[in-house]
Amino acid sequence: MEVSFNLNGEKVKCKINPTISLLELLREEMGLTGTKPGCNEGECGACTVLIDGISVNACLYPAINIHGKELVTIEGLVTAEGKLDEVQQAMVKHGAVQCGFCTSGMVMNIKAMQRNLEHAHHVPGENIRVQPDRKNIMKWLEGNLCRCTGYVKIIDAAEEVLNKNKI
Amino acid sequence: MDFSVVSPQNLSQLRNAIRTLQRKPYRIGAGYTDLLMELRKSDTSDLTVINLAQINDNGLSHIKSLVNHVHIGAMVTATSICMNDDIARRFPTLQQAAANLASTQIRNVATIGGNLCTASPSGDMACAIVALKAHCVLMNVDGKKRVVPVVDFFTGPRTTCLKKNEFLYKIILPRNHKQTQHIHSGFIKVGTRNAMECSVVSLAYHIQVEESGYVIDAGIGIGASAPTIRFAEKAALNLIGKNMQNFTDENRNEFAKKVLTYASPISDVRATSWYRKEVLYNISKSVLV
Repeated sequence: MEVSFNLNGEKVKCKINPTISLLELLREEMGLTGTKPGCNEGECGACTVLIDGISVNACLYPAINIHGKELVTIEGLVTAEGKLDEVQQAMVKHGAVQCGFCTSGMVMNIKAMQRNLEHAHHVPGENIRVQPDRKNIMKWLEGNLCRCTGYVKIIDAAEEVLNKNKI
Repeated sequence: MDFSVVSPQNLSQLRNAIRTLQRKPYRIGAGYTDLLMELRKSDTSDLTVINLAQINDNGLSHIKSLVNHVHIGAMVTATSICMNDDIARRFPTLQQAAANLASTQIRNVATIGGNLCTASPSGDMACAIVALKAHCVLMNVDGKKRVVPVVDFFTGPRTTCLKKNEFLYKIILPRNHKQTQHIHSGFIKVGTRNAMECSVVSLAYHIQVEESGYVIDAGIGIGASAPTIRFAEKAALNLIGKNMQNFTDENRNEFAKKVLTYASPISDVRATSWYRKEVLYNISKSVLV
């Protein structure tokens, strides 16, 4: 089966086995290993990617359904000049990375919250915008597990970056 | 995994896909948050997955706010329910159930149809849908629709009244009464931790109150307490005509006892039957603050 989609800003086409997950497609077929395999059951959030701007666990997403969609992985956040995204910069500044295994998933889900803040009011009937306070950030990130338990610094980083351009 | 996949692009292709698979095993895939896990653990050599994710049909994937009803397509995600203004304002029990389901990433793909068709006794959105006295619209391969009250949709743990030639098309919520001035509506979920938790006991309540404070309609759904999600009818009827502002301890106990008559919980790794009953009794009382 052939799928074509937008991957980190570029159009791609590939032939896939229809039973594989998006995580398998990314890591094993495309060599994009920034998206981490943790539990492979949708519990840990290490494999979080953005599909059409919303965060999804790649391990539970059938690769065939990426057809026609826009996919952003952690590799897509860095600019061509190698500059880190502001969410990544905030993580570095706050020392929010310990072993690093959960980091790419955390960054992608914080990115999704940032996008909700910017876009929520553009969708008809879906105009509820989540306020970026600590309680809501913790709720938003409840599906991302950090087994170094470095949550405080991760939430500090998210809080700073999400409140930067307050509308 | 070696199942085959068909991806219909519209309703008529979906009906054809189901028709051609009448004598073969098939599963319907919507959000895949449960299905992929299940397929990884089982022999899938003869199985076909009918993939709903690529269907373009408004009835299946939109929330439609009408004068007397709200239609929710089976493919509507938990996130879309959380973010919908009409549901947040008028059916808080459903909004809260959707908002407390699993995690952000799961809510972004998990569908209300999947939550109902999985027919888990602990389904969160399904419990709220029961309290709201909703109806399910089932469609068969000929395009013929059948409407069933949601309580009759569940026939046992993980079984529904869906026939092999049918699929769940949409859910219809009745609007609150015109005389309703205030709604006391919410979803209480008790688990062993906060995030990513499957309910140990859950209770959905939707109580409509007129201006003077009298209850004119009530719906109570209980989850993880019986083989299916149950509508605690006697408990709901017991509230009608009572004044929300004057509940006594006696009223609260009477109500909780009536809720409990619908519970026949099992003991499992997450909780004992005794514990589930105790919790259900206490959260029922807490509804009538």
